[in-house]
Amino acid sequence: MCTIAWAGRKVGGALVVLWLVATAIFIAIRLIPGDPAEAIMGGPGSQASAEALAAARAEYALDQPVLAQYVLYLGKLITLDFGTSYSLKQPVTQVMGEVLPNTLWLSLLALAAAWLMALCFAAAATRSNRFGSWLGNLLEIIAAAVPHFWLGAVLIMLFSSALGWLPAVDNGSAQGLVLPVLTLALPLAGFLTQLMRDSLAEAMGSQFALAARARGESRLKLFWRHGLRHAALPALSLTGWAFSSLLSGAVVVEAIFARPGLGRSLLSAVLARDIPMVTGIALFSALVYILVMALAEGLERIINPAGDQR
Amino acid sequence: MQRNSRSSRILAGALALPIIGALIAGCSSTGSTDSTAQSKEPVTGGTMVYASGDAEPSCLDPHVGGNYPQALVASQYLESLFTKDANGQIIPWLAESTEVSKDGLTRTIKLRDGITFTDGTKLTAEAIKANIKHLKDPNTASSTGYLAVGKVVSIDVKDELTAVLKLSAPDNALLESLSMPWTAIESPKALERDQATNCAGPVGTGPFKVKSWEHQKAVNLVRNEDYVLPVANGERASSTAYLDGITWRFIPEAATRYAALQSGEVDVIDNAQPDTISSAANAGLGHLDAPRPGSSNRIELNSSKVPFNDVKVREAFIRAVDANTGVSALFFGTAKRSNSLLSSVEPLAYSDESLFTTDTAKANQLLDEAGWSERDAEGYRVKDGKRLSLRFPVSTNQSVPAEQSLFEQFQAQAKAVGFEVKIDLLDLSSWYGALAKHEYNLVSAPYTKVGPSVLRVLYHSDSTVPAPSGYFANNAQVKNEKLDKLLTEAEETEDEAQRASLYEQAQKIVLEGYYVLPLYDQQNHFLYGKNVHGIGTTTAVSSPVYFDTFLDQ
Repeated sequence: MCTIAWAGRKVGGALVVLWLVATAIFIAIRLIPGDPAEAIMGGPGSQASAEALAAARAEYALDQPVLAQYVLYLGKLITLDFGTSYSLKQPVTQVMGEVLPNTLWLSLLALAAAWLMALCFAAAATRSNRFGSWLGNLLEIIAAAVPHFWLGAVLIMLFSSALGWLPAVDNGSAQGLVLPVLTLALPLAGFLTQLMRDSLAEAMGSQFALAARARGESRLKLFWRHGLRHAALPALSLTGWAFSSLLSGAVVVEAIFARPGLGRSLLSAVLARDIPMVTGIALFSALVYILVMALAEGLERIINPAGDQR
Repeated sequence: MQRNSRSSRILAGALALPIIGALIAGCSSTGSTDSTAQSKEPVTGGTMVYASGDAEPSCLDPHVGGNYPQALVASQYLESLFTKDANGQIIPWLAESTEVSKDGLTRTIKLRDGITFTDGTKLTAEAIKANIKHLKDPNTASSTGYLAVGKVVSIDVKDELTAVLKLSAPDNALLESLSMPWTAIESPKALERDQATNCAGPVGTGPFKVKSWEHQKAVNLVRNEDYVLPVANGERASSTAYLDGITWRFIPEAATRYAALQSGEVDVIDNAQPDTISSAANAGLGHLDAPRPGSSNRIELNSSKVPFNDVKVREAFIRAVDANTGVSALFFGTAKRSNSLLSSVEPLAYSDESLFTTDTAKANQLLDEAGWSERDAEGYRVKDGKRLSLRFPVSTNQSVPAEQSLFEQFQAQAKAVGFEVKIDLLDLSSWYGALAKHEYNLVSAPYTKVGPSVLRVLYHSDSTVPAPSGYFANNAQVKNEKLDKLLTEAEETEDEAQRASLYEQAQKIVLEGYYVLPLYDQQNHFLYGKNVHGIGTTTAVSSPVYFDTFLDQ
């Protein structure tokens, strides 16, 4: 399969998905009860006058027919204009731009930490006995299953309140990042380890590994050269999914640890019925998901050029 | 125009005021054992970190919108024309004196001399004019402030420091309205900037000023080095705040907020939960209990629909539940049961405990009399084939977990006499939506306004008519001509004794009509670290001001 054709197919698919997501958001927003003009005028329960509401409707083109609004909306999206936030009265792209680095940084660190932990655990699992393997398996399942919300609260209780080692809230320092990153990374690490350990054990115990060992290759070298490649593949193909799960986890983690970010913007935008803001973040998340999936697939093609004929 | 008894009394009250420390707007620091604050010598310096659990305001100018989170932060950089003293009396603040014409239609306000805004603009009568104009401008989208100055039709500048307000009807609540942070006075020059700019950095006369606003993170406040305290405070007549500044953080999670206070990452937290308050006392942390003025927290019974259009059914519900036990158990002694429509800090609050005693036998008897005498298979009462069912939408943004538990207790207690209570936990928008569509029988809605005139907002039949947004304040749907008349007269009289009597009669009508089940004051609980001293001074809406506050160095 030619790489250019592959890339072209990806881009085309991505555009279709984005259009569908944008349309779904547009329809969903129209189905939500409540008057958007009211949200513009300071949220529910605002005692805005009739003329103020009318002015708000005109300003955001809410007085136009639905189809016209849809065309207008898509037209703006094509030029990457997400409009002006109802609650912050600032361009959505500007607000997102301010907080995006925080969330990206948090997610990337958490992804790296999760991968590192998963590799260590998976490697350790190949050497453990039956009981160790059973215990490891149990811990992985627990780690993969704990909700971010609960884990964050427990980590704060342990490391901030009881031990006083780490700050509970973001204070701009590197220490402030440790607990949020751990909260995001631990469940993901549990999940990735589950994926890796079986293929790793399989690779390390396979005929070619035995042959390599017989040739005198060290266990560590074998692990890096062969085992890892096998173990990484299933985990890598799920990294796209994992990354988008980190973005949704960021909503919770940013609220718990009082960090500015895309997740917290989304939460407050939903509460304020800030339609442009919600639309912007949702579309952006979809775009990131598509990009990361494509990247993961590309990486897979590089690591395993033979492919699985998939 | 002549000075009447009311305005002279206000002046006398201001002059008699010994120190500003007494300006603890009727909020005793119950539970607080801050004896060190008095004995400690104040020190200048340090930045205090305040952690708010309220939503981050979308605008730092409380004229725009007008909710409590805005009042909390704006009280540090904006000041009002009037405020409240320790006895709950309104006294001049930025204003020096005021008088009202005999017909009540002309209100003259004279300002103190020598006060400047932090942008260098001098405080003059033009500022009053510009601010009221700003509040009344539909583009400002003010709600609380807009209603507060609703009767002001024009403002004349008589001389540099004197403004004359013309009213459409007498309004003895005007000074109370002008004591709220939502009508605070901002620099007229700053108000001329576009709204986004003004929202990011409103300019006032307060002890602090806005330095920067990092969205989702913090509002950074620094000391106003040229601050002039409007009312003398002993030796501190013209000195500035002790703190170099305040970092006003937003930490939505209650558990995180408390953990950050325990570890010393923050110095003061608000929205402290009842269980946290009781454990904070053991940890030696300070507690400031500053109940909000205006209405008490209460459940309103929608009298415009079946079954609560029958007073017997309303009384039956109120007699069926046991609020006393629930409140003391679920709030760990941090909330005192109220039997009044008004907050305990309102001097004119009228209370009648006998109306709210629990009596299940009477509840059953009343329901039988009202025709709800049969029960279905599940034990709920029925009449004409319809179940005695109540919808109770609860806003999860406004109701703390302890309160939600209380409502669940009510649900179980009401079931015993045959009520089915359906509690719907809703986000704020959906909750307003349910109210606007009248899809409720029971509702708990907070409302903060200084003074008993809040009764007019909540129980006058005019307030059953929805605003264009669908909002109406009279959730109990009380429509009573006699009550309307009392509330209007109470607002217009300049005779204090008559005002008190009229408001008492009005409160009796609402309470005795079983439209409302009062619960407790609107909760304003602050916790602070051992290193924090001198907390307690508050504005008329019980929002703390940190002018007197200092930190251990």
